[in-house]
Formats: sequence, C-alpha cells, structure tokens
Amino acid sequence: MASKKPLAAIRGFAMSDLSRQYIGETWQLAVTAIHRAIADAGLKKSDIDGLLINKSPVATLMDLPMDLLDYAGLKDLTLCSVVEAEGSSGVQMVQQAALAVQAGMAKAVVCVFSDAPIRPGVSTQQAFGMPLPLMGKLGSEAPTGLFGPVAAYALAARRYMHKNNLNEDHLGAVAVACRQWALKNPLAMMKKPLTMEDHHASAYVVEPFHLFDCSFPVNGAVAVVVTSAERAADGPQPAVYIHGMGQGHRGVTNRRGFENEIEIGAKLAGEGAYAMAGVGPKDIDCAQVYDAFTYCILLQLEQYGFVAPGGAGEFALAGQTAPGGSFPVNTGGGQLSGYYLQGGTPLSEGVMQARGTAGERQVKHDLVLTAAYGGRMMYHACMITSPHASL
Amino acid sequence: MYDITRTLGWPTPVLNDLNRPHFEGMADGKVIVQHCPDCDTWLAPGAFLCENCGSTAVQWRQASGQGEIYSYVIMNRTFDPAFEAMVPYNVCLIELAEGPRLLANVTGIANSELAIGRAVRATFEKVGEGLPLLKFAPA
Repeated sequence: MASKKPLAAIRGFAMSDLSRQYIGETWQLAVTAIHRAIADAGLKKSDIDGLLINKSPVATLMDLPMDLLDYAGLKDLTLCSVVEAEGSSGVQMVQQAALAVQAGMAKAVVCVFSDAPIRPGVSTQQAFGMPLPLMGKLGSEAPTGLFGPVAAYALAARRYMHKNNLNEDHLGAVAVACRQWALKNPLAMMKKPLTMEDHHASAYVVEPFHLFDCSFPVNGAVAVVVTSAERAADGPQPAVYIHGMGQGHRGVTNRRGFENEIEIGAKLAGEGAYAMAGVGPKDIDCAQVYDAFTYCILLQLEQYGFVAPGGAGEFALAGQTAPGGSFPVNTGGGQLSGYYLQGGTPLSEGVMQARGTAGERQVKHDLVLTAAYGGRMMYHACMITSPHASL
Repeated sequence: MYDITRTLGWPTPVLNDLNRPHFEGMADGKVIVQHCPDCDTWLAPGAFLCENCGSTAVQWRQASGQGEIYSYVIMNRTFDPAFEAMVPYNVCLIELAEGPRLLANVTGIANSELAIGRAVRATFEKVGEGLPLLKFAPA
C-alpha cells in the first residue's frame, strides 16, 4: 500500500435514542445526536464551526431546517448547509466536511442525519409509499401503480436476478446474514433469529420481494464531528481517518443496451475512493453499505469490486458476508435488521467498526468501506476509513 | 420528481412539455415516444435532449407498439385506492422494438405467466372513469 496522509478524520460520533415509536421531532433527535457527538469528541459547542445537515428526501426542509444551528446552540459557523443528495447524503456530508477541513474553511464540522418518519397515525406506507421517479419527468409510475421504493427496487432486483440466474434463496441469504449480525448488536431493532424458511414464508410486499427483503423505518439521528487528522489524534476517542472518498452518478438511460438496474455508479465511486487511498478492494476488511433491500447488498458487493460480477448471490449463499464469513458486510445488521437511518446506518456502523468499539460483532478493521446511495441506486458516495493515520 | 394529480379518478402526472404528447397520444391509441433526427436514436419520453448525441432537436414520434418484457413486479399491496380491486397486479418495464423502455401494466395474462423476454404489443384500456391508458398484452 502507498503511504499517504489522511484527508481528515472523524473525532466524535454519537446517536440519539432509536425507536420504532415516536420519540420526538426530527430536529430534537438531531440536536441530541449533535450534542452527544460534540461531547464524545471532547469538544465544546464553541469549538464547532461547521454544520452539515442530512434530511430524509421524503421529509421537508421544515423537518430539519438550516436554523437547526440555533436549536443546537451553535454560533458563528463558517460552514453550514443542508446536503441534498438523497440517500447518499449520509456519506456525502462527511466528504464535504473533510474537504472543508482540508481547505481550512472550518476546523470542526458536525455532520448530522436525523429522521422521524414514524408518527402517531402515519403508516410506513404513507410515509414512504409515493412513486419513486424511475422514468424521470415522464411520470408513468403513478398511472401504472408503481408505488414506493419497494416497487422500484423490486423491478431492478427482478432484472438483476434474471441476468445472474438468482432465486429467492440468494436474497434470503442476505436477510439471514444481516439478522445474524443484528443479534450481536444491542442497537439493532430486530432481536429474533431469522431462518431462510422464515424469509420465504413472509408475505410478498412487491414480488420478488418478501417482507424480509425490505428494511423498515426507524426514528433516530446520527452525528459525527470531522476535524483534521492531527486534531482527531488528540481526542478522547480513537480517531477514524478518512483515506479515500468517491462518488458515482451515472445517469439513467431507459433504452436497449443500458442496464440501469445493474451498472450502477457505485463502481465509479469505488474506483475513485480506492485510487485516492492507494488501496484496492482486496485490502478492505469489511463493508458497511446502504441496504434498503436485500438485492442492494449483492449488487454493491460486485460494483465495489469485492466479488466478480454475477457472483454475489453464491457468495452470500455460502455465508461469506455473515459472522464467520470471509468478508463481513453490514456488521450491525444493516438497515434490513439493524436500523434504517438512510446513510446514517452505514456511517454509524463504519465508525464503530473502525474505532474498534463494535463489541461482540467487532471484525478486523484496518480498512473499512462505508457507502451510501440515493434514488434507486442512482447516486453513490463512499469512503475508505481506518484507525491508522498512515496506510 | 413530478407532481401527481388525478384525471378521471386515476392517478396521473401533471402534464408538461416533456410528457404531454406521450399521454395525449393514448387517447388516439398511439404509442408516442421520442426520437433524435440527428443520430436516429429512439428515446424514452421525458428527454430534454438526446442522450446519445446531445442534440436538442428531439422530436415526438409514434412507435410500433411491439416490444418485450424487460422486467416486472407483482404489487401485492394497495398504495393507492385506484388500484385496490386489481391487487395483486403487475407493473412491467417494456422494452419497445425501437429500444426505449416504458412502464406499463400487462393485461390478458396471469401474473404467473409473466417472463422477461416475453413478446408483447400495445393495447389501450379505459381506467378510472374512462381515462385511456397504454397497456400491453401478449403478442
């Protein structure tokens, strides 16, 4: 590996309480996570000069506005923005914080994701059931009845399964592996074991997806404090150094010859991050990726270069991503069995793993890939982190 | 993103310059998509420019209505009351013979008979309170 200095580092990290019940407004959860992260970093509010905010794409700016800085009691910031890159924002905001720290625009940037989709009288279906625009501005999702991310992803999963001769066992293996990890994670919402039979027996939501192919909403917030690598080394917690960052946004082409469902921007994002860090996929010890649906883990394993194209289904079926497998993926249970906080899910588990504070589920963590995407896997951002300042 | 409204009791997008000819063509029983005259590429409607050559001279043009199933799902839940009586219903991504892909329901076939690569042809059905909608049927 090449010897390179890190871009920046994560010095503080914290989460609000997590719940599948209403426990407060989105901004309240955000403020809790922000204050806890600042304390975790061993800093004071007055040390913070940057705030980057990640709201859910289906929430409004009213839920998590710019003046979150006032609710959080932050003053005289030199950097403040709502980062809007759909689900990839959870990683993008950390990337932007690292760039700002590198450029000298801010010294200590708090990045926060917060969401409270579960409210009294609002169902999951109501919160997330709007059409996801796969066909751009044409708008043919609503009249044909293709509602919700679950339908959009199911359509992609069917194509991916067809091209790679996969069946529901391959998807089920992903769900089972995530549940095995979740059982080792006290933060995870899912507490019962899950078998392949349980997966297959669960109702179809949108075929080919069973209920256990889908993540589920959680109310909660995640915050990190990004500083220079030197500054993070002085903190009370192990520093998590950022060595590589990448993004990939390919654009959608709905015509013959283009497989939007398989050839996603994660490849581009990964290539950028690997090149920046001077490492390759074989050097990575574990991956924390956005897994709103089972198929998403399989495709990202291939696109980030961990498994040859078409091979992820068998890889998962052989238990390689599960505890004891050759390549741990989503070691906190992911969004499927842990908690769905959009990009905040891989971000939080990536920090805990890289710090070495993941307890019973701790794996080898010299290099951790953390990745998030938005849209129907249209917008990708990733970073390569390590507890080591030099690689 | 686009805004959703209801037309004759059916969920529809608010029409704009990038989708109007496609939806209005349904009333005439035509599959109207887009085509680039500069590089002879057929485009999925909603395109502002030709993604192949970059031309902004994109034109609306009638496609043959022949195609095949590119992918499909079965909706097992009701997300909108308009579809309640149809559950479980299919939504398919159809690849037209000319190349562009369109979302549509495939009618006249059991959901269990759907398959990627299956040949289909355009057909038009009234939905809601009489709104003509492009669907596909086995060829």
